Order: sequence, then structure tokens, then C-alpha cells
Amino acid sequence: MSNRIWVSWLTRWGIVLIVSLITLAPVIWVLSLSFKPPQEWLAYPPTLIPRQPTFENYLVLFWPGNPVGVVSEMVRTAEPVTRAFLNSLLIVPISTALSITIGFLAAYGISRFGAGGNFLPFSVLTTRMFPPIAFAVPLLVYYRSLGLIDTHLGLILMYTTFTLAFSLWMIKGFIDGVPRHIEEAAILDGASRWRVMFTITLPLIRGGLAAAALFVFIMNWTEFLFALVFTSRFAVTLPVQVSRYAGAVGRYYGPQAALGIVASIPVLVAGYLIQRYLVRAFTFGLVK
Amino acid sequence: MAREGQILIRLENITKEFNGTIAVRDLNLEIWEGEFLCFLGPSGCGKTTTLRMIAGLERPTRGEIYLRDQRITDWPPQRRNIGFMFQNYALFNHMSVYENLAFGLWVRRVPREEIERRVRSVAQALELEPVLHLRASRLDLSTMQRVALARILVIEPQVLLLDEPLNNFRPGLRELMRAELKRWQYQFGRTMVYVTHDQEEALTLGDRIVVMNAGHIEQVGTPDEVYQRPATLFVASFIGRPSMNLLPVEYRISEGRAFLVSPDFEIPVDERREIIEKSRSLPNLILGVRPEQLRIHDPQESSPPDLIRIPAQVDLVRPQGRKLILDVKTRSGALLQMVVPSIRRFVAGEQLEIAFYPHQILLFDPQTGKGLC
Repeated sequence: MSNRIWVSWLTRWGIVLIVSLITLAPVIWVLSLSFKPPQEWLAYPPTLIPRQPTFENYLVLFWPGNPVGVVSEMVRTAEPVTRAFLNSLLIVPISTALSITIGFLAAYGISRFGAGGNFLPFSVLTTRMFPPIAFAVPLLVYYRSLGLIDTHLGLILMYTTFTLAFSLWMIKGFIDGVPRHIEEAAILDGASRWRVMFTITLPLIRGGLAAAALFVFIMNWTEFLFALVFTSRFAVTLPVQVSRYAGAVGRYYGPQAALGIVASIPVLVAGYLIQRYLVRAFTFGLVK
Repeated sequence: MAREGQILIRLENITKEFNGTIAVRDLNLEIWEGEFLCFLGPSGCGKTTTLRMIAGLERPTRGEIYLRDQRITDWPPQRRNIGFMFQNYALFNHMSVYENLAFGLWVRRVPREEIERRVRSVAQALELEPVLHLRASRLDLSTMQRVALARILVIEPQVLLLDEPLNNFRPGLRELMRAELKRWQYQFGRTMVYVTHDQEEALTLGDRIVVMNAGHIEQVGTPDEVYQRPATLFVASFIGRPSMNLLPVEYRISEGRAFLVSPDFEIPVDERREIIEKSRSLPNLILGVRPEQLRIHDPQESSPPDLIRIPAQVDLVRPQGRKLILDVKTRSGALLQMVVPSIRRFVAGEQLEIAFYPHQILLFDPQTGKGLC
């Protein structure tokens, strides 16, 4: 009997351990890499804990031409990450907010009034039916003539458009879960549709909105292809900046890893802030 | 109490179709000021749809709705000032009880002190003061019901519509809440329209009952009228438990006297001749007699001359505490249900004589289903 409990305990925690290792291993590796000097980047056998830990990789991100160290020598021509960082911090939250707002309004119309029939909600999905590169070329032509290349607005519009499918469908699911009777009760109380939407429905699906927002935020934060194609200097975002740390001889893994760590901080913060709403989202099914 | 003549709401030739299926067909009804009106019918008969049309949540496909002689068919629900209590109460779970009650006043831009005063007074009447600060999602069912009612009362509606509000209660509590509802109606004196599929509920609560079936009204009447003089076969079989015995009979005239004839008995019906002869499906009729009007006849006793007696055999005994339901089979094989006091034991197979008075029977036209009386 006690043997069986042991076995089940071991299996459970064993699985948890393996899954956590698989998920966390790359993060740990990147963290360790970001503190390694160049000779250790590709060292064999690999080291988990740097033998000669250094902050050089972080230093060059913000001060590329600094007078100390080998890494600085390598990335002498790179721009400081400050611009890319600020760009990302501007473009991603705005496009996420737009995507969620439009998604919520559209999802409400579709869920409650069947707006657009069967066609509209599915037509929104077409933006995710092709590989993004298929859109890149025609959009490049449009963007050139509209003067949107390498602008913040250009990326904001693009990110809003391509994440709308996710916001709309996720939020629609949550709105569908709000019983119609609750809205009808508010209407009979004398509330207008807009009021019902914002004082009754919206607070009830707050958790769902938070989940959708976090999801869209991460998608936009890590988007690489469009940012690479549609920006060159002025509106460069973090993922593009990461790719810049490479030279004729290969990639500069140290600064790339350091930037990876720095870039993940805002996502961690966003996730932490949203966390308490997320729990509500997962228990949302309890609202009858 | 309801007084005839003061019409609060009038439904005129209301029809509602959903994608081609007809939910309510050509319905006409008057709702009187101050009455407790019950819609009774099996599920899917259109009673909830009718209620939703009165509230304005559905728009009738055809027909008009009047509120005190004002045509309100096109009015949005916000303008109608009608209270609606949903089956699952539809409380705003993210708000406190106080906010739930205040919501309707708040959207109507009632001044803050006035809101406070009205919420407090309704909360006091329904004993909700201790829970005013709680979240609506934390309440138990009967408190939720009181909050739902309070939320409606606080806006002082013209009429309260209640859609099967007792469905969520277990049987014992149901009776209790039913009594509570009746008390509230006396207390607040408002017109209430109540939808239910439970006949006991309708018979206890209603001043008048609207019996609905398949989208139309079968009968409108007081509980007594509906029970004692059902207008149609449907009402006769739907109301009353166990349900009414219905037997096919034939109308015959012999030697100038009128009779209803079945293989088991003959009933003289001279005094009802005129009414019966209006029926178009003669000679076929359906006779209805309530299980509690059938009695066991003791052969030793002398019987009044007009008593109809039928020899029968006990088929099944169903004890119900103080009463028994007996299923008996006549010689011709017709099954009848009867309710008798459980003063003695009965066994299946036992022979006995059952009896009833001819004036107690109801007659129906088998084709139209209409009652003849």
C-alpha cells in the first residue's frame, strides 16, 4: 500500500521535474551564456556555470564602443539597444491595446448580434491561414507607396491586424460564456446596450481579456519577420536588434543572450501584473 | 386583488415565429391590474416566449401589445419599466447586493440619496439588510431569489414578470418559497405574471390561470374554473393529478330519451341534450370524470336512483399515505383511476363496484377537443 503511494508520488514529481527541465533548460542556458566571455560561448565540453563570468555582454548592449573587453571590439558598429527597446515598448503595448479593444467590440457584435453572419468571424481568421511571408511582399508594395516603411505606425497597424484574429476569437469565447439573461436583466433595469457592455459584460470577462492581452502582447513582442522586412533603422524592434549581433565570422552569442534576458523582463512584468486576473479567467466557468 | 375591467396589459393577435417555426400563434389576452396571473403549460408551449414579448426582449412577428391603452409593441425594453425575474435570477455576480439593487436606479440617474433610501427600504422589506455588502455570487439560492425580487421592486415596475423562479429549489423548499411569493404579492400589491409548468404552483398562486399548449391559449380562468370546468380535453388531462379519466361514449336516443352509452354503462342526459346536439362529431363523444369523483359502492347500501354503477376489478393499488390511487379495469377492459381514502386494504384482482353521479361528468367533442357545457 505505502509502496503504491511512493510510486505515484515519484511518478508525479518525476513528470513535473522532466517537464520543467525541458521548458526551463533553454532559459537557463541563455542566462548562463549571457555571462560568458567569447572563448566560452561555444566551448567543448560546454559549461553551465561560466568559468570566467563577465558583465561585458550586458555592457555592450547599451555602450557598444566601450573601451573594455573583447566583445566590445566585435560589436563596435552596432547601435545601442536603447532605441529598439523604446520602439518595442511603444509599438507592442499600443498594438496590443488596439487589438484587444477592436477584438472586444467585434466579438461582442458577433456573439450577441451575429454581426457579419457566418462569414465575418471566419474571414478574420484568413490572416492566420497563410504563412506571414506570403503577406509580406504585397504589403511591402503598399507600405512603400503609403510611406509606412520603417515607421512606428506601420508596425502598429500590422501587429494590430495580424493579432486581431486571436483577440477576436479568444474574447468571443468569453463573451459567449456570459449568460444572456444577465445582460437582459440590465437592459430591463433601463441600461443601454453600451452601458450593459461596459458595466456588466466587460467586468465579467476581465480575466479573459487579460489572458488574451498577455497572449497578444507576447506574440507582438517576439514578432521578427515583419519587423525585419518593414523596418531598417528608425523603427527597429528588439527581435531585429538581437539578429544584429552577428558578424562575418558568425553570431555573437554573448550579447544575443544578454539581450534575450533583458528583453524578457517586460514580458515577465506584464505577466506578473496580469497574473491575478488570469486565475479568474481560468475559474470563469464557475460563473453561472 | 384583481378587479375585472382595469386592464393593464393587452395582447392582441400576437404571433411569434422563430426561423419559420411558430412559438406563439394568434394569442389574445388581457392582464388585469393587481392580479397574479399564471401561465401554465408543458415546456415549449410558448409561455416564456409570451413573457419575453411582454418585457420587450422579443418582438412579436405579428400583433400588438398595449400597456394601459398605449401601444408599446415597438418600445425597447428599457422604456417599458417592467420587472423580469429570470429562472436563474441573473444577478450581477461581480457586484455587491447593494450595487445589484442600485443598478436600475443608477442608470436612471436617480439622485444618490434617493437611491440609498429606496434600496434600504426594499432591502428592509425583504430582510436583505445583513447581506447588502456581500457579493451576489456568495449568496444561497433563497437569498438570491430575494435579491432578484428586490432588484425588480426597487425600480417600481408596472408589472412583475416571473419566469419559473422556483425551478432551482428542492421540493420541500419549493413549497416554502411558493408561500413566500404569495405573501409578497399581498405585501407589495403588484401585478404579477408568473410562468410555470407546475400545476400545483399555478393552482395555489394564481388569481387566474392561462393554460397554454403548443403556442396557443387553451383556457383562461380562475383555478376553480380551470379545474372544475376545463374548456378543452388538453386542460382536462393536463390539470389534476392523477389526471382525469377520459372514456369514449356514444350518444343515442331511444324512446325519446337521450343517453350516453358505453359498453359498461348508460347515462341519461336529457337535461344536456341541447348542448350535446351542437357537437358535430355525434354520436361520438368523450366523457371525463375526475378520479376523486369515482367512489366505491357498497352493495349493502341503498343507492340513490341516479347513481351510475360499474362493476370493475382492481388492477393496481398505489398507496399515497392518507389516500390511495386505485387503477381499476371495467368489464369492457377500460382502465380508470380513482382516488379513495385508505380506510381499508385493497388487493389486485379484487372485484368491486365503482360509482359516480351523472351531474359530475364532463363531455368533450373528440374532434375539436372542446368541452361541451
